[in-house]
Amino acid sequence: MSATSQSATSHSLGPPAARANPTPWLLVGPGSLFFLGLVVLPLVLTVILSFHVYDHTTGIKNEFTLAHYIAVFSDDYYLGTFWRTLRLAFLTTLICAVIGAPEAYILSRMRDPWRSVFLLVIIGPLLVSVVVRAFGWSMLLGSTGLVNQTLQALGLGTVKLLYTETAIVIALVHVMLPFMVIPVWTALQKLDPMVEAAALTLGASHFTALRRVVMPQVSLGMLSGSLIVFGLSASAFAIPGLLGGRRLKMAATLVYDEYMHELNWPLGAAIAIIVLAANLAIMLAYNRMVEARARRTLG
Amino acid sequence: MGFLTLQSLSKVYGELAAVRDVDLSVAKGEFVSLLGPSGCGKTTTLQMIAGLVEPTSGRITLDGRDITHEKPNRRGLGIVFQSYALFPHMTVAENVAFGLEMRKIAKAERDRRVAQMLGLVHLGAFAERYPRQLSGGQRQRVAIARALVIEPPVLLLDEPLSNLDAKLREEMQFELRRIQRSVGTTTIMVTHDQAEALSISDRVVVMEQGRMTQVDAPYKLYERPATAFISSFVGKMNRIEGVWQGGRAEVAGIALPSEPASLSDGQAVALSLRPEKILLAQAGQGVLDGVILARFFLGSYWLFTVETPVGAISVSVPNQGEEPPGEGGRVSLAWTPASLKVDALVGAAA
Repeated sequence: MSATSQSATSHSLGPPAARANPTPWLLVGPGSLFFLGLVVLPLVLTVILSFHVYDHTTGIKNEFTLAHYIAVFSDDYYLGTFWRTLRLAFLTTLICAVIGAPEAYILSRMRDPWRSVFLLVIIGPLLVSVVVRAFGWSMLLGSTGLVNQTLQALGLGTVKLLYTETAIVIALVHVMLPFMVIPVWTALQKLDPMVEAAALTLGASHFTALRRVVMPQVSLGMLSGSLIVFGLSASAFAIPGLLGGRRLKMAATLVYDEYMHELNWPLGAAIAIIVLAANLAIMLAYNRMVEARARRTLG
Repeated sequence: MGFLTLQSLSKVYGELAAVRDVDLSVAKGEFVSLLGPSGCGKTTTLQMIAGLVEPTSGRITLDGRDITHEKPNRRGLGIVFQSYALFPHMTVAENVAFGLEMRKIAKAERDRRVAQMLGLVHLGAFAERYPRQLSGGQRQRVAIARALVIEPPVLLLDEPLSNLDAKLREEMQFELRRIQRSVGTTTIMVTHDQAEALSISDRVVVMEQGRMTQVDAPYKLYERPATAFISSFVGKMNRIEGVWQGGRAEVAGIALPSEPASLSDGQAVALSLRPEKILLAQAGQGVLDGVILARFFLGSYWLFTVETPVGAISVSVPNQGEEPPGEGGRVSLAWTPASLKVDALVGAAA
């Protein structure tokens, strides 16, 4: 009875106040608790940790300082590592876009038995642990690995690949490619196949039709794909750890070193927070660009 | 020889012949429709003309030039796709200008021709809009403008009106014809809508299961359908089977007035009579008496189903501002003998 009278008043007076249906809260609850407990809380603890004073003899003290941040920003070693991280993540993203977009296009043009087979080929590697794949690459790229054996057989001499940036980028591209192919492929699926035919009949060559008509429409897929690839590459751990060796550090391996080798947890936390902030800033700026573009062209 | 000719054009997919031996000659400036139910091969035929589907055999010539194996981007034909296939990331003006741009036409000339073409399709004010901001009818006109601005020798329309609602469709039929007349482009339209084909074409090509079964002017097609399929597909038709006896058509022992025919006695015949050719008379005053089974009011006319000794007959009567007899009423049907067409039923004896 009260429910009916309430709905009647709310109907005449506009939306009801806070005492509304509890169902949305119940539905959102578990996810929110999970997110709070497993993401927000550790993150807050890490931020607090990064301001703690660290002493090499006594460990973490209950005093606060900005020293770790100052140390990171005034040391060429850390700055160099950040720069390398950005550079390799960007390069990986670029190569993934260059390989992944045509790959997705070819995939979308395949007929059915083959399309399913090749989609599996592309997604399949995701089923294998990154660590296993990184070891696979280190076997291939090592000084006596298959690549160098082939080069030697061809009389081209050997090349140092393992523990170089090249090795890291090769392996990152391999791991990240599905994250580029799938969004582009999804965008291509939404495309009216006749649009390309229309461009052809208006006198465009195949290449022009791709460049002027297909590409702009899948660019949204490419941009969101690069967002994923960039984010994952910049925070990659296993691949730089195993293929970069002891010297070639990226952001995630640097944090690991501070925590596990130097035992300087506050410094490690500071680096982690800086990497997170930088990654977040780049991705948000990028996402802004993506959204602006989407609004402008595709509504 | 026609401006655009198709010579025994066929397309076979595996075992299935989508198009079989289509021969057609289209004169310059003519508006020809390919009419048929879905799956009859009309769209495949259009796509072969466009160059989007490679013919299995046969020849296509345009203005005396063999274009059978020419790439679609070299044919220079204008095509309006069923989905319109507009470029969603370009404005209306950019869409229309695309073909001119591909022809490397200078910007000033391009802008002038785009503006002129948008004027022709009454979209001058929408040049800077994106396709998603337009209604279905407007999109369709953009597609037509985009196809016509390159001044193609032939305009191909693939079900251009099927995505529009009924009222808009009727408006666009006349609009399409007006644009085609004013530009004078030879046009081939694919449609499954017989009313559309009849109202705007110079000639209609009917296709059934990959074959052409009749090519005629709309009026002739309607009055003299070549096959039983066409008679039922184009307009409504009463079909009665009877026997030719003593120079007259007889059904269930009743002689029906019909057009003259030179058939031998005892020949089984199919009689065809359009519903609108029948007059509703008072009982006993017509040729065939019956009882009204159903009556539908359709605004401009009434549609009746009348039960007669020869079977149920559809009759349509124009709305003259007076209410005709209702269901259960006794009436009589009358028609001029020439309205009842007689065709020998092949392979059937009485």
